Amino acid sequence: MFEELLEDVAQNNGLREVNTTVKLAAGLGAIILCLLSTGYLAPLFIALVLSGAVLLLARVDVKTYAELFLVPLWFALLSAIVIVLISGGEHVYWIWDPLPFLSLSITRESINTGFFILCRVIGGMSALLFIALTTPMTDLFAVMRKCRVPDFVIDLAMIIYRTIFILMDQVRQIYHAQVMRLGYSTWRESITTFASMCGAAFIASWDEGDDLIRAMDARCYDGKFALLGESRPAGFRSGASLCLFLIAGSAAVYASQGVTLL
Amino acid sequence: MSSIVLEARDVRYRYPRGREAITGISFHVRRGEKIALVGPNGAGKSTLLQMFNGMIRPDSGIMLFDNEEIRYDTRSLRQVRRRVGFLLQNPDRQIIAPTVYQDVAFGPVNLGYDEAAVKEAVAVALRQVGLEGFERRPPHQLSGGEKKRVAIAGVLAMDPDVLVFDEPTTGLDPSGSEDLMELLDELNHDSKTIIISTHDVELAYPWADRVILLADGRIIREDVPDVAFGNPVYVRMAHLSVPTLLELSVELEKRGFTIPDRKPRSVLDMVHIIEQHHHGSCGHPLPGTITVCNVDEGDTGTLAAWVKARKVAVGAMGTRAKQCAATESIPLEFTYGVIDKCILRALRGQDSLILTTERMVDRVAVRVDAYCKESSTTISMARLNMTEEAKKHDPSC
Repeated sequence: MFEELLEDVAQNNGLREVNTTVKLAAGLGAIILCLLSTGYLAPLFIALVLSGAVLLLARVDVKTYAELFLVPLWFALLSAIVIVLISGGEHVYWIWDPLPFLSLSITRESINTGFFILCRVIGGMSALLFIALTTPMTDLFAVMRKCRVPDFVIDLAMIIYRTIFILMDQVRQIYHAQVMRLGYSTWRESITTFASMCGAAFIASWDEGDDLIRAMDARCYDGKFALLGESRPAGFRSGASLCLFLIAGSAAVYASQGVTLL
Repeated sequence: MSSIVLEARDVRYRYPRGREAITGISFHVRRGEKIALVGPNGAGKSTLLQMFNGMIRPDSGIMLFDNEEIRYDTRSLRQVRRRVGFLLQNPDRQIIAPTVYQDVAFGPVNLGYDEAAVKEAVAVALRQVGLEGFERRPPHQLSGGEKKRVAIAGVLAMDPDVLVFDEPTTGLDPSGSEDLMELLDELNHDSKTIIISTHDVELAYPWADRVILLADGRIIREDVPDVAFGNPVYVRMAHLSVPTLLELSVELEKRGFTIPDRKPRSVLDMVHIIEQHHHGSCGHPLPGTITVCNVDEGDTGTLAAWVKARKVAVGAMGTRAKQCAATESIPLEFTYGVIDKCILRALRGQDSLILTTERMVDRVAVRVDAYCKESSTTISMARLNMTEEAKKHDPSC
């Protein structure tokens, strides 16, 4: 419980000082390319490049990255297996009819589809992780304003962001206090302890809200919230690498049209 | 300087469904003063402090700011809150925004400054507290001392006249509290009136110009620190303890030492008293030199080498001087009470170097001169300018 948060990784990553728009363009561009591709090679190529960027440029710990990647990968793998089994095809390798209305088969087409979808998931996931691990939330607020998200939504998001960490800290303290007094020793005990932690956290957050209003009042709150705009220019190197990546990705999509595994 | 900036006239306050927290308090604060509100837990310190910026409205009696009664409509309150900056005990409660920049900019933006002015105000405030380069950092990744500084910067960005601190040193390690108290001195030097609440007598005693002893919602005594803390009856009533230096001076007096009217407020004062008793025989016949270097002028790149060559003890006064020492990797011997410690060193016949900023250079001279006059010794002082120093050694320039 309470390990390093994704946000903490993002706050300390090696690409922190790169212009936010460039990073977002790389991530979103990669997702679109994955969706456009019809062969399995292009998504794999994108995943390789972005994972390389996360590990080598952003210097994210390999173990952290692998853990983050593996959890959704299991789900994707299971879904791919299901797809392989239930979608039919002409080149049948194996078939089994356990029930009159259910037929499971492995065919060349179903393997191709399943593998293609798995690769797409890997590509898309690496793009999402690239954004999550290189762009901290605090930088996204400025982008949100640029995208004309209403101010009150951004202000709320910012207050929520700040409060999450305060609340996390309180929950962590309560949790430790409970563990020290043998709170989670048995299964029954852990249910009551968890419930009392929730109660305590609720009261703490209520107090926190009162204090927040007081703190804002004491500092002349007038409905305005400052935003830290983007002050880091895109720069030639990051811009050029972005273009290179998108061009190479598009080329991969084009070249691997319809390429299948079998 | 002696104009009254804050005043309370017989204020009373009772918490809803609670006991009376403030039971008839009257006092005033003059511009540029350093006031310590000292009392035990539950004495009503925080309640009283929150009246200064109108967060709590007294049930009866009036609060005055700048000789005008504080009114409690939104507009007047905004005006008061801009000019009386308030710092909560827990900086986590004070920091609202997700990044340091946004939090410090909170006040200026709400006061309606334009973007350039906001940037300027934030830059100045962060520079004052020594947190340049922290703009994009989220507060939850900062240490306790840094959070405190962010909160202070947030208040400073509104450029208030009066700063009110509720228990400023709670949760800070000793060196962090010393740094903070030094920062408060620096701010006071910038002609800000400072009011702190504390129950740490050792902290309040040497720092404050005036002490207000508070217990059970009443003022027990309001006076200069040695008088306020000097009476054991008051101190006991306020559940406090007599500061060590004061206790020691009382004991020494009973043993025949001559204690001046102005009671010792620092180790230096104490050493002076003891030395006089021994007719100056414990000091070094030849006092050392105190060199002062303004880190804003000249090139500090060669400073480390200079220090190494001379083997002097180095002290830094002020946030910027400490940063300079850190970047030049000069080991600091003193970071708090620097002038006193350097005088003590000089009396032992050893040399020292004080790193400081333009505004504080004179303060060193004033303090050292005052000491020399009082104790009729001479401590030589020198100014160090690295650019000139370089010229001396390099005839080609």
